[in-house]
Amino acid sequence: MSGIDRRSFFRIVAASGAATAAAGCGQTAEKLYPYVSPPENIVPGVAAHFATVCRECPVGCGVVAKNRDGRVVKLEGNPDHPVNAGALCIAGHSALQGVYHPDRFRGAMVDGKFAPWESAEKIVADKLGALVKARQGGRIAVVTGLETGTVAKLMDEWVKALGARPRIAYEPLALEAMRAANRATFGRDAIAHYAIEEASYLVSFGADFLETWLSPVGHAAAFAKMHALSAGKAGTFVHVEPRLSMTAANADRWVRNAPGTEAPLALAMLKVIVDEGLVAPGVDARALAGAVQGVDVAAVATQSGVPAETIKGVAHDLAASKSGLVLGGGAAVSGGNATDMLQAINLLNVAIGALGKRMRFGGDVARPSSYADMVALTQAMAKGEIEVLILGDVNPVYTMPPKAGFYEALAKVPMVVSLANRPSETTGKAHVILPALHWLESWGDHVAEAGVVGLMQPAMGPVEIAGKPVDGRSLGGIFLNLARLALGLTAEPGKGLFQTPTFADVVKAEWGAMAKDYGKGKPVAEFWEESLRRGGVWREAPGPAVSVRPEGLRVKAEAARLEGDGTHALLVYPSSRFYDGRFADRAWLQEAPDTMTQIAWDGWAELPTETAKRLGVGRGDLVTLVSPHGRVDLPAYPVDSLHPAAVAVAMGQGHAYPGTYAQSRGFNTGANPVTLLGPGPEAASGALPYLAVKVAVAKGTGRRSLAIPQATFDQDHREIAQHIGLGAARELELRGKPPEHASHPSMYPPVKYPDHRWGMTVDLDRCTGCQACVVACVTENNVPVVGREQVAYGRDQHWLRLERWEEGTPARPRNIFLPMFCQHCGVAPCEPVCPVYAAYHTREGLNGQVYNRCVGTRYCGNNCPYHVRRFNWFYYDWPSPLDLQLNPDVTVRQLGVMEKCTMCLQRIIEGKDRARDAGRKIKDGDIRTACQQTCPTQAITFGDLKDDGAQASKLSRSPRSYHVLEELGTRPAVTYLKKVTRDEGNPAGGGHKA
Amino acid sequence: MSAGTERAVTWADVNKDVERTVSMPGNTYFAWMCVVALTLAAGVVAWTFQIYTGMGAAGKRTPQMWAMYITTFVFWIGIGHAGTLISAVLYLFRAKWRTSIYRGAEAMTVFAVMTAGLFPLIHAGRMWFAYWLTPYPNQRYLWPNFKSPLVWDVFAISTYLTISVVFFIVGLVPDVAALRDRSTGIKRKIFAVIAMGWEGSDTQWKHYRRGYGLLAALATPLVLSVHSVVSFDFAMALVPGWHSTLFAPFFVDGAIFSGFAMVLVLILPMRYYFNWYPYITDKHLDAMAKLTLVTSLVLTYFYACEVFTAWYSGDHFERASVFAKATKQYAWAYWTMYFCNSVVPLILFWKKARTNVVILYIVSILVLIGMWFERFNIIVPGLGHDFYPYTWGTYVPTITDSTIIVGSFAWFFILFLGFIRVMPSLSIVEVKEVLPHPLKHAVHGAHQGGGH
Amino acid sequence: MAAAASVLGIFAHVDTTLQAIRDLRAKGYGDLTVYTPVPVEEIEEEIEHIRPHSKVRLFTVIGGVTGAATGFFLTIWSSLKWDLITGGKASVSIPPFVIIGFELTILFGGLATVLAVLLLGRLPKLRPSPTYDPRFTLDRFGVAVACPPDRAQAVSALLSAAGAEEVRR
Repeated sequence: MSGIDRRSFFRIVAASGAATAAAGCGQTAEKLYPYVSPPENIVPGVAAHFATVCRECPVGCGVVAKNRDGRVVKLEGNPDHPVNAGALCIAGHSALQGVYHPDRFRGAMVDGKFAPWESAEKIVADKLGALVKARQGGRIAVVTGLETGTVAKLMDEWVKALGARPRIAYEPLALEAMRAANRATFGRDAIAHYAIEEASYLVSFGADFLETWLSPVGHAAAFAKMHALSAGKAGTFVHVEPRLSMTAANADRWVRNAPGTEAPLALAMLKVIVDEGLVAPGVDARALAGAVQGVDVAAVATQSGVPAETIKGVAHDLAASKSGLVLGGGAAVSGGNATDMLQAINLLNVAIGALGKRMRFGGDVARPSSYADMVALTQAMAKGEIEVLILGDVNPVYTMPPKAGFYEALAKVPMVVSLANRPSETTGKAHVILPALHWLESWGDHVAEAGVVGLMQPAMGPVEIAGKPVDGRSLGGIFLNLARLALGLTAEPGKGLFQTPTFADVVKAEWGAMAKDYGKGKPVAEFWEESLRRGGVWREAPGPAVSVRPEGLRVKAEAARLEGDGTHALLVYPSSRFYDGRFADRAWLQEAPDTMTQIAWDGWAELPTETAKRLGVGRGDLVTLVSPHGRVDLPAYPVDSLHPAAVAVAMGQGHAYPGTYAQSRGFNTGANPVTLLGPGPEAASGALPYLAVKVAVAKGTGRRSLAIPQATFDQDHREIAQHIGLGAARELELRGKPPEHASHPSMYPPVKYPDHRWGMTVDLDRCTGCQACVVACVTENNVPVVGREQVAYGRDQHWLRLERWEEGTPARPRNIFLPMFCQHCGVAPCEPVCPVYAAYHTREGLNGQVYNRCVGTRYCGNNCPYHVRRFNWFYYDWPSPLDLQLNPDVTVRQLGVMEKCTMCLQRIIEGKDRARDAGRKIKDGDIRTACQQTCPTQAITFGDLKDDGAQASKLSRSPRSYHVLEELGTRPAVTYLKKVTRDEGNPAGGGHKA
Repeated sequence: MSAGTERAVTWADVNKDVERTVSMPGNTYFAWMCVVALTLAAGVVAWTFQIYTGMGAAGKRTPQMWAMYITTFVFWIGIGHAGTLISAVLYLFRAKWRTSIYRGAEAMTVFAVMTAGLFPLIHAGRMWFAYWLTPYPNQRYLWPNFKSPLVWDVFAISTYLTISVVFFIVGLVPDVAALRDRSTGIKRKIFAVIAMGWEGSDTQWKHYRRGYGLLAALATPLVLSVHSVVSFDFAMALVPGWHSTLFAPFFVDGAIFSGFAMVLVLILPMRYYFNWYPYITDKHLDAMAKLTLVTSLVLTYFYACEVFTAWYSGDHFERASVFAKATKQYAWAYWTMYFCNSVVPLILFWKKARTNVVILYIVSILVLIGMWFERFNIIVPGLGHDFYPYTWGTYVPTITDSTIIVGSFAWFFILFLGFIRVMPSLSIVEVKEVLPHPLKHAVHGAHQGGGH
Repeated sequence: MAAAASVLGIFAHVDTTLQAIRDLRAKGYGDLTVYTPVPVEEIEEEIEHIRPHSKVRLFTVIGGVTGAATGFFLTIWSSLKWDLITGGKASVSIPPFVIIGFELTILFGGLATVLAVLLLGRLPKLRPSPTYDPRFTLDRFGVAVACPPDRAQAVSALLSAAGAEEVRR
């Protein structure tokens, strides 16, 4: 761990003291700010950091919440956490827009009207009590999202105690097929850990591991370790998918296969490996041979549209690499044969000797239930077998196919209780709403993976809306109290689980028990305190060794069957921004454009160019997709890269209830592709097959032009995003000679920098285009949300934009992602044109912008060749309580002034202050900008260019370094490192990591 | 010795002919005034709305952070130049034909610059702080950045306005004195104030003539510098198509070109309504038309240079910029400019066209349109296709900014229409000067015509 | 000697006026005021024998020089006072300052010139001089002679002889 991590560790305080302890059980009435007498660990004006666990998606990354004056203003990854190691994804950052969501329920509701919490609670408890007394507990059903650790345990105890139906942990993207496949192949009902960082040759069958698959942040970091050029070594990544996803765009070689042909392809590769005796030593080749008897590579080639040479080539390199790894099973490619596909992939991993090395099984941990369970429950509801349905923060009405009939079945349930804290399609049908507090306001813990237990503590009290804190309870607290009321118990410490006074106590007790196991005999109190500071406990938890079971060798080599007689296979893929749609009401995510299409604020249907031509539709023209189960109308987005027999639609848009904030800014467009799917689960795994239907594509009526800030993906030979072949890059690195930068003679003496010259480097070889930096910047710098119309008209306010530049051919596209922000030029064109010195050069090499002085001539905006300056065209507002999130260290810009990236000036100042307080000179790594801090692949580095030892100045002298539009002589302080491309014709690109 | 040959005009006639114009106007005049005033009101409302909602009300965006306001600003500054050229430069050259048009042209200059001066304000995101561009002592020791072309503008344009106004008023004094002596009541009092007790004594004339000459001598380099400085707003910038040493002469020539067109647009109706045919004769029109033609040809040369240098430089950005202007979304504006500025004026090679009022008028209008589009093409398409492909974009005008632009024309005409009915819009003194001087003994005929 | 009388001759023609002035000068009458509707070269030349050259240009030069000085002082002093680097240019960089210097030269020069015209031409003139006649702004010329009362008779005779259509005492 670098120095910064240890320091941040000490800055992280454990939640104790009035504010947060009270917040834990949600009973706080105290104001969040201003403090008359500040609680001990909240010093006005000084940030307190609380370590907790991000519960936005099922992964459970460790986060550190920055609390200023009682309210959380920023989330950052917990540097010590093994899953995300300090990084955080866009969704994680947007959690702040969840806790400060303008539509949050202010308190309990009964039949759509606000009611005192106790009375609402009583209505539910009475009903439950009656059912329990009548031995009718079976008519109670509980559906939550994936919950683990103490709260899961509590809820399951609760279910037992009341004799209710087993709780369903419903996750629309539960990857049931992976567990089914692992059951079949290895007899383990678990999801393996894939050590991507240890691989030198990575093949992915539609696993969008940089977007949503398993643990994207962790995977991105691992991918950078494995793939980015360092010390002359760089691994190779081959991605197989019909659509050019963001993950595919990061591949050295993207293999475009016919939709649903992953299983045959995997087996074909296995066959090649087996036939040519490339099976790793110590693996039973004969057994594998049995598995691929029927497979005919040539046939697969024609079926999948992937040339036999490609199949062979990839198989060769994979086996030859000695440290290969195969991933598979993204939702987009999970059809009715998902389990077969993943079994085949398992066998591939066995064949190349990845099993037990780069593919490992840890101990079992709680996993979501399968979609089939939801279907079963729905049927029970429809039959009227359910009296009380308790729904956690889930939205089945939106995420389940309508034909599954959940919506209709809800009407048959006499009492639907929702614990969600903001409106959704589902809460609309709830009779009673008991809003659970946001995870930033609650106690709890979460098991990310075997041996990694994150501890959650409230980082703030319940958020105040209109001067009144929202009336909610932590999820655990709600169940605790319901149990007491239903079973007629009282709160008495030490009298069993349900009588523990607060849920916080339950968690404490739970961790007390863990102390001897994890704490190596530390006193409980100390272990607790330390875990709170660290954000949890983690250790290696190796599971039992696994081996291939005979039945695991029986794999069907069929392609996925698609329902319907449409012309195109429908690819429904999880959105890298909205996941399954749960984040769609967050304006930050809506405004951050989708990396591949650069579309903001909208849904679209990705069409193959040929199809678009045939239908005579252009970008933005509406097209109608009709499946046997439904129809949607969407603006077309024609692309060359998509497989000609497919159309692709991302999940997440087209909500009936998008939330007032997003709505007021142009949202509520797009459509939900799940409505096109059939209700039937996959037999083998019980998963909902997302690759299941063919759709008929027709020209719709009218058009809805898409909001796309990037005018063109073609660089027009301007060498904005540059790349270099692996061979050349390696050679340069060996020579270690920095490239000549063009010299621009000046009639003025060079500018002197007495103390520092701040600068940045961006390694394009590491950037995966995940957009985390964009939203991190928005969060840190109070960047307003301008809405759909304004983004479409080139008035987005993002200080940092993530550009995608396209090269190569449709068959072998090359995409370079380039984060662009103020280049802080040494000879800045924007400065001398400002008539009032609002733009000027600071003594530390920053391109300063004095908002108060700006008159708004916008001359600087014209003269900036990078167009990274943003003008306040209108008044931009933050509807309450979103204004509580504003960073107090950063000015909110007023109407009519120019603004732009400041290299997080406030962080520079803070860093210098901290160094001064510690009575030492500032060190490299003391200061990290928001974008750098959150980057999972560490593509961005900030530092003092005057300090030769600084990482940033080292990198800026790299042989791959260049400046964007260098010929203009602006001498930027931001240096880019060329992306390293694998030499054509040699996908392996030579040299693997040992 | 050009004017007054059609019918024998005496000095007294001149006074009468001018006095006629300074009298209660008819209904047509007031009808026009109403139209103009309403248009102006609309413009004011639009501006108020823009100040209230923010610059977003105007269609500006990234990358076109400048658009129609600066276009029209440059347009009006350009218009002003012809006035100064006629009143100052031609004065120094002793070109007699200027005498009967220079007063109108000068008025046009003053009002055009006053109109142009509005646009930096309209354009600024926080116009209420626009005064920060001026160097004024303040307790915070904040000063403008004298390296910024915009500050140069402030100095150039305020100087230009001041000198033009002064020059204009000085020219008016003897004429107003003449009106004073032939009017009564309140009118007389007002004229008396403006005339400052002018009597035309030899001492007054002596200093007056000297001063007037020096002012003309100062105004001449000034008029050349002003539009050069305005052109620096672009030439000093990095934007492809802007960053060019060609701009100063290019702008000055364009300015004079458009200015002459505007003079014709204003003078021809005045000649008709005020029945000034004796003073503004075909010779005048011919001379003006010739100048228009010459400036047009020079302009065409500059256009050619612009394209040639873009190609010859081999600079990718410059080439792409020119190519985009000619072929991309704004091509129509580009070719409109060529047609109006380079093709249409060629008709003036034909002598009949140079004296045909209708043709002259149409040509002048087209030239004005063309010159507006010239500035538009420099700014909007230029910015729309510059260095960074990510942000290339198309500017779309809004009702607000269009209304403000139209309003600015109303502002100009309300000033001009007002002027011609209260002040001598024909220079009494200078016209007399070029008339045959009254002589008793014809032997002194050689001395006819004061100014040589 | 008693208070000077003044005699005014009103002429309709340039040549007669000129004649009158010549005769008066020949007779040694130096204190003349000539009124003309427009400036007439010949008359000016004639007058120049008895009047000094105009000093207006001196004002202009002084004004211009002051302007230039002001321009350069303001720019250089203020950039030293507020020493900010923009675009890698030295905070005192002369080339751009030349423009300010030039504009102020013209501005101050012009204003000084007008000031001169007013001061030297004794403008504004609050009440008309006794010898002034409104016709002088129309088409008549006037020659006013200030002379001892006893000479008035002779002067008027001289004027009428020169061709004055009217003579006043």
